[in-house]
Amino acid sequence: MNRRTNARAAIRFFVLAAAVAGVALPMLSEQDFPEGKWWKRPRLAAEINLSPEQSREIEKIFVNSRTRLIDLKADLEKKQLALQSSMEDRGADRRTVEKEIETLENARAELQKARALMVLDMKQVLKPDQWDHLLQLQQEMRERRLMAREGRQNYRQGGPFRRTPNR
Amino acid sequence: MNENRSRNHLTDAELFGLAIPAVGSPEALPSHLSDCLACSRSLHEWKGAVRDVADDMGPLGDRTSEAWTGAQDQTMRAIRRTRFARPALPLRWGVGVAAALLLFALALPLQRPTAPATPSGPSASAPDLSTQDQADDALLRDVARLASAEETGGSWSTLVPEPGTANGEEERL
Repeated sequence: MNRRTNARAAIRFFVLAAAVAGVALPMLSEQDFPEGKWWKRPRLAAEINLSPEQSREIEKIFVNSRTRLIDLKADLEKKQLALQSSMEDRGADRRTVEKEIETLENARAELQKARALMVLDMKQVLKPDQWDHLLQLQQEMRERRLMAREGRQNYRQGGPFRRTPNR
Repeated sequence: MNENRSRNHLTDAELFGLAIPAVGSPEALPSHLSDCLACSRSLHEWKGAVRDVADDMGPLGDRTSEAWTGAQDQTMRAIRRTRFARPALPLRWGVGVAAALLLFALALPLQRPTAPATPSGPSASAPDLSTQDQADDALLRDVARLASAEETGGSWSTLVPEPGTANGEEERL
């Protein structure tokens, strides 16, 4: 009886964890958390009023995740290379390629999970308004980057004064 | 006594007297001149200076009192020139040394290592990150790029050959 209850609890836990991971991870990646060591950038830190204690705490979280991130990144890159050579090989076995794609995506998911959990820990250190401000700044930065990219593309296509023809 | 005299060089007044002797009196040369090369050379210079002045002034009978005063002044100037001609070499050396010192003083700040403009370390307000922070920054960016599969070159989906062609590269070419 006890065994069955424990098994049910375990199943419930795994289902819940999978659901949380399924929802939380895409949400975090969609928000596009600031890239790089943002807490070490004085202007950004001043903008969100990041205290030295918070900065130290965030640094500690990063340092704790660093080794795992390095390992997972290297693993992903190795799998990418393996798949790349299989894809370039005309006589590659379909099953082998399928397996390599799966392992590559699993490695990517592992990396994404590790990064998301690190970001989650960092988020706990910040106050809600700091976090919102940080995301807002990131959004602004992304928009500016996008505009710059579009401007460059327009320039390449027909110069800066090109107009769309009237219909 | 003679020894003392040979050691002591002739004064400017004595040299002047020897270079322009009184009219009618024979030129009495002291024995010191035969021993001392420096004094003999000085006397030679004095005589040369007097000769130059005499050449410039013309016949003596035509001279007015102003001409005599002028000649006197010119003689004195020539004598002074002769006297100051001796330290010319040390003066040239002095100018050279001063120029070298000036150049050294100007070049010194270039040799000095430049002090860092801002303090380094985690509390620094400088925008540049330390080497470790830069490496960490690059790692985080790579992780973000790889985790979201944003990269275009390494993603497996881009490696699939275009349908209808043997190789994606051929299509592009």
